[in-house]
Amino acid sequence: MQPGLQAYLAVAGIIFAIGFAGVLLHKNTLVIYMCLELMLTASTLALVAFSRFYGAMDGALFVFFIITVAAAEVAVGLAIIVALYRRRRTVQVDELNYLKH
Amino acid sequence: MELPKVLSLILLLPLASAVVIALFLRKRGNLAALVSIMAGFMVMGLSVYAILHSFDPARLVYPANTPATALPSPAMQTWQQMAGPTWLDFSRHWLQFGNYVFSMGFHFNNLSALMLLVVSFVASWIQLFSAGYMADDEGKGRFFGGLSIFMFSMLGIVLADNLVMLFVFWELVGFSSYMLIAHYYKTDFANMASKKAFIVNRIGDFGFLLGIIWCWDHYGTVRLSELENIIGFHPGLLNSATAVKIGLLLTCGFIGKSAQFPLQVWLTDAMAGPTPVSALIHAATMVAAGVYFLARVFFLLPPETLHWIMWAGAAMTACAGLWALGQTDIKKTLAYSTLSHLGYMATAVGLGYPQLAMFHLAMHACFKATLFLGSGSVIHACHHEQDIYKMGGLLKKMPVTGLTFLLASLANCAVPFFSGAYSKDSIISAAFLKGHDEGVVYYGVYALVLIGALCTALYTCRLYSVVFLGKSRSDDAGHAHESSASMTIPLVVLGLLSLGAGWVVYDWKWAGGLMNGVFPVGCAQVFVSAFAGLSQTLEEKGLGHSLEITNILVILAGLFAAYVFYGRSQTAGDPLAAKSPRAFRTLERHGWFDDVYDWYVAHVQQRICDIAGALDVLVIKFAGGWGTAGATGLFGAALRRATVGSIHAYVYWFLAGVLLFWFFAMR
Repeated sequence: MQPGLQAYLAVAGIIFAIGFAGVLLHKNTLVIYMCLELMLTASTLALVAFSRFYGAMDGALFVFFIITVAAAEVAVGLAIIVALYRRRRTVQVDELNYLKH
Repeated sequence: MELPKVLSLILLLPLASAVVIALFLRKRGNLAALVSIMAGFMVMGLSVYAILHSFDPARLVYPANTPATALPSPAMQTWQQMAGPTWLDFSRHWLQFGNYVFSMGFHFNNLSALMLLVVSFVASWIQLFSAGYMADDEGKGRFFGGLSIFMFSMLGIVLADNLVMLFVFWELVGFSSYMLIAHYYKTDFANMASKKAFIVNRIGDFGFLLGIIWCWDHYGTVRLSELENIIGFHPGLLNSATAVKIGLLLTCGFIGKSAQFPLQVWLTDAMAGPTPVSALIHAATMVAAGVYFLARVFFLLPPETLHWIMWAGAAMTACAGLWALGQTDIKKTLAYSTLSHLGYMATAVGLGYPQLAMFHLAMHACFKATLFLGSGSVIHACHHEQDIYKMGGLLKKMPVTGLTFLLASLANCAVPFFSGAYSKDSIISAAFLKGHDEGVVYYGVYALVLIGALCTALYTCRLYSVVFLGKSRSDDAGHAHESSASMTIPLVVLGLLSLGAGWVVYDWKWAGGLMNGVFPVGCAQVFVSAFAGLSQTLEEKGLGHSLEITNILVILAGLFAAYVFYGRSQTAGDPLAAKSPRAFRTLERHGWFDDVYDWYVAHVQQRICDIAGALDVLVIKFAGGWGTAGATGLFGAALRRATVGSIHAYVYWFLAGVLLFWFFAMR
């Protein structure tokens, strides 16, 4: 039996929820970042699923752009985290609170 | 060249000169003087070229068919006779607010030709004089830049085709006057005098601006040619109360600029500026711009408005003449003389003879410029001494100045055959005619202008005999010697004109009929036929000779009395001050106008300012300033609490925000 659209969307929703929970619960910036990427991936999965089930290529096309942009964004994000670590010697968010009033 | 091009060049040359001086030549006084004087003489040449080259004999008579009214009102006929047909009327779109279009352009007729000629001619010679007078001045570049910008503004008033453009240049003239009065800005007096001139002028200009706006609202246009057509087609429009009010408001501009009652107080203080400035701006041209303006919009002035102008002008003629007797400063005496003569011009406009006002304006420009330049030459020679009782005996030491001053003084008194006589006598006769034709009460005007004539003879003779005759009264005057050529040449030119400019009324044509006396025919046309018409009317009523003889007797009486009283006096100071200090003090304080205004400002206006200031503190500072600052501060303090320094908290904030948006989007 072929899985239906709902199944794909359910998987995407679960991955998104896992990513969001990770963002909320983890203390390590690197892990939070990975969780963010997970949320992004969940949305691309939903796009591909829509594209497949409605027979239009727009969603699939979007995914290529998202992957490209995400790659660039990851490079910048990781560079920021590395620079942050060099300066502060930590990537734990509890200790990154300079802007606290 | 086409007329519009020449006129644009005439207007823009002085501006270019001012810009060049302001940007590059402020430290190079001599170069600045050269640029400014050259621009002045080029403007003069171009004006003569424009007037002679584009002259057409048809322009002497107003075309019978325009504007197409069967019977123009008498005021309109007067205006048409004075201004002649329009040589040029064009305007360019300048800027637009909603339905209101502002334009700039030229309206050129015989009247503006005459004024253009007078302004450019007098200004050029005075600029040449300034080169000598200001030779050692530190701020020479600034001074000549100021003269150029004044030229530009004044020519703008002369050529303007609508009231808004005229107002713009009117204010520019006020600014350049302010700038030049404050030339010696290191002295307190010059600073205060410049502020006084500017502020008093603003008061008049406020009414003027209201008048222009109301005129736009009431007649639907501010273009002179369109206004002329409207009034030409519907003379009845002038009978309404609104028309009278508009006329009076427009007259406010004249009162401020020409220093008439009750705003006359600024003109005498304006003498704090350098003497050529007094000659150019505060005697010959700018203060006369008010009279020119009245002539220019003469068709807009209903009889009731003219009535006011006539009485105020006649009163000023007599009062200023008397006040002049109480001054010991040579320039202030001349300033009151200017006020008195402006009063004559206002009287002429009020009597319904704007042509004679323009005639007197032209003659006055010649002889009053000479008088001021002569006084400048004297002041320069006496090391900036202005008190006439520290001069004396200067005729022998400064013969050119002394003789030209004599010519101009005689013209000032209206001695027969001198230029002032033709215009002034005709105004006095017109006043008598008004009394003769329209009621005994108007003999009051005649009496006032006759008192003015008597005072003119008195103060002129007093001035001349104290300054130029007798013995030297101080060392400075004893060591005085004649000024340099750049100062004496303008004196001679303008002095000869003070003698001969009035002969234009004998209609002596030359240069193939292009010139009449020293004026181009078109310019002379402004007043020659009106003068002839008035003489003929007087002749028909058998009044001509008796009026002429009365005038001469009054002048002779004045000259004789002044010579006996002042010329032969042995006292060190003013003989009147010695004999009757109280009378002298009354004249010196010129009717306590300044004191009344001082009291008003200190005790009434200052109170209002205090109340306004308290309201300002209460509303704007406490409620407005502190209120908004406090509210913003409180809000900021609350927001600061939200900055907890934990990314997770921010994510929850973000989530809450998204949910909020979602909620509103779904609703």
